[in-house]
Amino acid sequence: MNAPVKPDAFRIGTGPVPDPVPPIIRFEQIGKTYAGRGAQGSVAALSGIDLDVPRGAIVGVIGRSGAGKSTLIRLVNGLERATSGRLLIEGEDVTGLTEAGWRTRRRATGMIFQHFNLLSSRTVFDNVALPLEIAGTPKPEIEERVARLLDLVGLADKRERYPAELSGGQKQRVGIARALASEPKVLLCDEATSALDPETTKSILALLQQVNRDLGITILLITHEIPVIKEICDRVAVIEDGRIVEEGDVFSVLTRPQHPTTARFVEAVTGVELPAYLAGRIRTKALPGDDTVLRITFAGENATAPVISRLSSTIGVDVNILAGRIDAIAGRPFGSLLVSVPTREPELAAVLGALNSLELKAEIIGHVS
Amino acid sequence: MFPEIISPQILALIAQATLDTLQMVAIAAGLGTVLGLPLGVFLATSKRGELFAAPVTNAVLGTLVNATRSTPFIILVVAIIPFTRLIAGTSIGTNAAIVPLTVAATPFIARLIEGAVREVDQGLVEAARSMGATPLQIVRKVLVPEALPAIALGLTLAIVSLIGFSAMVGAVGGGGLGDLGIRYGYQRFMPEVMAAVVAVLIVLVQTVQTIGDHLARRLNKRLRHA
Repeated sequence: MNAPVKPDAFRIGTGPVPDPVPPIIRFEQIGKTYAGRGAQGSVAALSGIDLDVPRGAIVGVIGRSGAGKSTLIRLVNGLERATSGRLLIEGEDVTGLTEAGWRTRRRATGMIFQHFNLLSSRTVFDNVALPLEIAGTPKPEIEERVARLLDLVGLADKRERYPAELSGGQKQRVGIARALASEPKVLLCDEATSALDPETTKSILALLQQVNRDLGITILLITHEIPVIKEICDRVAVIEDGRIVEEGDVFSVLTRPQHPTTARFVEAVTGVELPAYLAGRIRTKALPGDDTVLRITFAGENATAPVISRLSSTIGVDVNILAGRIDAIAGRPFGSLLVSVPTREPELAAVLGALNSLELKAEIIGHVS
Repeated sequence: MFPEIISPQILALIAQATLDTLQMVAIAAGLGTVLGLPLGVFLATSKRGELFAAPVTNAVLGTLVNATRSTPFIILVVAIIPFTRLIAGTSIGTNAAIVPLTVAATPFIARLIEGAVREVDQGLVEAARSMGATPLQIVRKVLVPEALPAIALGLTLAIVSLIGFSAMVGAVGGGGLGDLGIRYGYQRFMPEVMAAVVAVLIVLVQTVQTIGDHLARRLNKRLRHA
């Protein structure tokens, strides 16, 4: 949460903007089409992707399976090649790089995977040493670096164990140590926590954040889990059918989703459902003596204001809390509250006016008796 | 073992035949592995879109392997006599028998190794690629080590099959246990020799299988428990 504030960290909207610090990765109108075989036509996995990954940031790409996020992340280390557009890494156009050129580049990019992809035949130590062996690092240096990395991920006592003897979270820690072995500038995370339970996910995300903060490594991650975005990302891009439908800083995108896909993802973590006992009784037209059900969305500075008590004391209405949830997104409070107030003028208008003046979003859900 | 039934001379023959069989099988299995390993790895990695993509060569080699494997061994032995003579200088005897045994073992072992290598999780190949590994490094550091337990089991199977094959090279004077069993046990009406030969073969196969299983288990680090 304490990542340095980027110049455009709170920009809302999409598309590249002029940036004083050039992004470490820049997608420019990237498209990827898989050539069809025989009668099958070609399939577009990605089209018109514009995305900047600022240096030192944690950028998340969220989408459902098949949306193209796997392809997108694999473009960055050349495991997949774009069929159109330009990809710039540290300002260098890598679109036309040969396989040999990519091999050198890949050594400066770490990658971790959903299913860890550790070698079952190698110990923890030897798994972490693999990228260094591949790069031809001298033995004593391998020894020294691997020991340091195992310390970093908290697995120093497991160095002679085999992956089969580790838990999922420990395996991913080995994966992270291995990805960091070649001292990369960028770490790619391919659904790195999707195979882990919520508790383990938290600890792995904390480790990734530590890696980002302490080692200054830029992280590009893909996920289908909004909590991952909420927990550690600075920026988020929402991808659907191979296109980025929304992009921006995490707080803006999650609190004011513009695209229906984003809204669906966000609902899972920030939305508050009407309790079942009320849902059946709610009606759109108010009858005399009814209460009005409001959804109040808190975002930003006023989220912490004592709204409810202020409504009671200044307007003199009884506010009944039906359901609610307050959460932190990108380190800032966000939440929503379902309340009911008497359907009676002028109090109702006063309540709406007061909420409006606090810049809180209030919508009328319906009426109950 | 059978002092009353089997004379010391016959015992000596059995001992010699056992050594011949062991020698033929060991050399053929060794050569077959040396040739079959690269061939098997290539077959497993050279289809379209794979590490060493060469679909045409893959198809040609695949057909060659299948052709050799579908030829009955006894026919193969006779059919390649000129080749055997070229390599071993003769077409008769234990050394000569090693040639057809190797020719039969190589494609067999290649297919077993291909199967073992194909079983390796593609995610590991992708991980190695993401580290900047060359295709050869991927083979040496990922595919072969990860396939090793399956390769060990495959080689065990190959050796057991070779022990069976070696019984047939008696037809070209190859020597060994099978030859002894046919010549003494069958043609000279000495069933006790036949029984002894079969007993030795059973012990051999059993031993090979036990060692192979043990080795495969030792190599397999996936079965360890936390």
